[in-house]
Amino acid sequence: MSGTTGSTSVRPTDLKAVRDAVLDTAGPIAIAGAGTAADWAGDLDPVDTVLDTTGLTGVITHNPGDMTVAVRAGTPLRALQDELSPHGQHVSFDAARVADGATVGGLVATADAGPAALVFGSLRDLVIGVTIVLADGSVARGGGHVIKNVAGYDLAKVLHGSYGAFGVLAEVVLRLHPVPRASTTIALPCPLEGAGERAARILGGPYEPAALEWVSDDGGRLLVRLEGTRDALPARAERIRELLGPEAADTPDDVWERHAGLVRGSAEGAVLRIGARPSRLPDLLSRLRWRTATAGLGSGAATVELPVDAVVEAHGLVHEAGGTSVLRRRPDGAGLPGWGPPLSALAVLTALKRELDPEGRFGPGRFSPWIQGAP
Amino acid sequence: MTLDGVVRRAFEEALDPRDVICDEVRCRAYECDGLTGYRVVPELVLLPRDAAQVAAAVRVCAEHAVPFVARGAGTGLSGGALPVADGVVISLARLKRVLEVDPVDRLAVVEPGVTNLEITAAAAPHGLYYAPDPSSQQVCTIGGNVAENSGGAHCLKYGFTTNHVLSCEVVLPDGSLVTLGGDSGEQAGPDLRGVFLGSEGTLGITTKITVRLLRTPESVRTLLADFPSVTAAGDVVSDVVAAGIVPAAVEMMDTLAIEAAEQAVHAGYTLGTPAALVVELDGPEAECDVQFEQVKEICERHGCTRLHIAGSAEERAAIWRGRKAAFAAVGRISPDYFVQDGVVPRTRLAEVLGRIAEMGDEAGLRVANVFHAGDGNLHPLVLYSAAAGETERAEHLSGAIAELCVELGGSLSGEHGIGTDKACSMPKMFGEEDLETMRRVRSAFDPAGICNPGKVLPTPRLCGERPGRYRPHALEEAGVIERL
Repeated sequence: MSGTTGSTSVRPTDLKAVRDAVLDTAGPIAIAGAGTAADWAGDLDPVDTVLDTTGLTGVITHNPGDMTVAVRAGTPLRALQDELSPHGQHVSFDAARVADGATVGGLVATADAGPAALVFGSLRDLVIGVTIVLADGSVARGGGHVIKNVAGYDLAKVLHGSYGAFGVLAEVVLRLHPVPRASTTIALPCPLEGAGERAARILGGPYEPAALEWVSDDGGRLLVRLEGTRDALPARAERIRELLGPEAADTPDDVWERHAGLVRGSAEGAVLRIGARPSRLPDLLSRLRWRTATAGLGSGAATVELPVDAVVEAHGLVHEAGGTSVLRRRPDGAGLPGWGPPLSALAVLTALKRELDPEGRFGPGRFSPWIQGAP
Repeated sequence: MTLDGVVRRAFEEALDPRDVICDEVRCRAYECDGLTGYRVVPELVLLPRDAAQVAAAVRVCAEHAVPFVARGAGTGLSGGALPVADGVVISLARLKRVLEVDPVDRLAVVEPGVTNLEITAAAAPHGLYYAPDPSSQQVCTIGGNVAENSGGAHCLKYGFTTNHVLSCEVVLPDGSLVTLGGDSGEQAGPDLRGVFLGSEGTLGITTKITVRLLRTPESVRTLLADFPSVTAAGDVVSDVVAAGIVPAAVEMMDTLAIEAAEQAVHAGYTLGTPAALVVELDGPEAECDVQFEQVKEICERHGCTRLHIAGSAEERAAIWRGRKAAFAAVGRISPDYFVQDGVVPRTRLAEVLGRIAEMGDEAGLRVANVFHAGDGNLHPLVLYSAAAGETERAEHLSGAIAELCVELGGSLSGEHGIGTDKACSMPKMFGEEDLETMRRVRSAFDPAGICNPGKVLPTPRLCGERPGRYRPHALEEAGVIERL
């Protein structure tokens, strides 16, 4: 990662050490987690210090009866899920890079989400409290340990999707859900054209899919995941198969690992994450020069891998369709814009950055070309 | 009248002059919201007809440093829409069009003055509905719901307003018009929509809202169960959760609340029972049936004394009528009452109810309890008689209950908001650096401090120079959280 060449790394192991690390250094800081999204969004400008959060690990408190857990932000979500699993609980979240060891804080900061977002949303919908450290060493808590809470501004939302440019996430409190007793996935061979219509039929019926994704591999397939009770699920799966016709068939659960592989992309291309009105996704994707694609036809979130020279055009096409796009993985030194045309509330984004990090210490370049240098 | 003629004329140019109300008698109608203990008559009331007029009005405010307060239906219970002296009220009552219902993408685009229930009414022909359902849903507006991040009985399973709003068109306090959020859950950069939602009218005025709609569930099953104690009812909730069931709603009422509700609407609740639970499940029919049997069995295991299962839509509606009528019905058993709103971790419900009963006894006042048991959101109703001089004692008890919730690891508010009512209690829940960070967020949206000033965050003017000594949070004392 070019921006961190020649920088010093600090690895705090508690909240106080995070604050000290911010106060005891001067100049720009890159906040790093497990490194699974180190090059997402805008290219990082050179920094003096890398604040490595992977030492901030472990569950602070888990209240199974309340279905909440407080965890240090550098904890890999995968490890947290393992710890919760004996209680029959989990964080209802399945972004592709969880399997690669992505940290809770990193997943919040990058606003990542997987197919489960159709029902449970992204981490913005699951985080109920945060402790953050600002560039001046302020330590602020927002939210709390209860699921229902409207006291004060929701600081978690400021950090969700902030890509390490607004503050350090030190602790995160999450709401939990019961692990479903049974799960099954039905696949239908289906090109992109026609996938939207199929998806609409599923969403329009009483089937309550837990995930609904179109994937580009094997000539295109529509994947429908159902979750529920052991006794009742088979009947619902049967109704879906009837709806989709004889080509629809149960498929092994490893189909979701393949889905995650497509979302990660390969080393050669550039990966673009897209959000758009769900019914517009098939048409939008048909106009992008993707090599591989996944499309949440209920959620409106898509991930495509493009040739490097197709990124700028793709940003523009997504914007024209009323959507949003952010660049993820791409070849080193590709020099591609992380973001498309500026969002309408850019002035608010800039003002927030100015209030919370007036010297532009955290994650310089992450919101380039929207925010350049000090805000 | 301290707003001079120049400012008034500027408003009259920005709007139709007939939509600028300066008559004191008419302005008085806007002096309070649902929290009637606080009253301030605004200098002017503005009744814009569209987003452009809202923006024009706010630009005049910005130019002349006039504080403004946005108002929907005025049903808020925390004084969030309390006018500011020398300021104006901007009513969104005339922005009440449903602009779009899209059954394929399951979303609706509405103006802020549309009521919560009107959204569901517009969506219903497509088999869709809008999930958040505050008890005031017949009259409260979606703009107010956005400001308060309103919940409701069904938010246990489906979440709050923040989980159902995709985007808001917003007039910022400088009069500019921006869109926060987009057509999908994916947002570019920080979740500004999420910051705005629940900001209690302090960051701007929303003029257009895109909400998600859900498909009406295939099956809904509702039961009403009586229990010999609040603890037994609480244990049922714990066991339902432990069984991996996420009910659509779990509500509890105590003897006093039932007495009041029965007097008002005769919904078929049992008079004298120490606790009644309403449990509702929804979803695909087969799954719903399996889980409903489990819930019935759990109720019976905990000594349920009566189990009434809604056998028809009418019976289901009756159960909900009793629950939703409880607040207003308390007026039948007490001349005056305060509605409180606090949250505790669900597993501490029995403990907090015991403490509330003790506190009520000490104060010599009755407290009726209605609450969303599934998520630990309490609504204690402190009964008193102003004529008997009990107001101050009741107000003190009500405030002490909210702060007790914080002590038990919960929150000052689950859905009614901080507003005017609890701004001075915020230091009980948040430290100075927390509040200062929130002030910085506010300042990013409203550097001039003219947008609903005096709400949410404590100020020296409002709360005295020392807004209460900071006491360590219970979680801090338990070593769960640390404050540096």
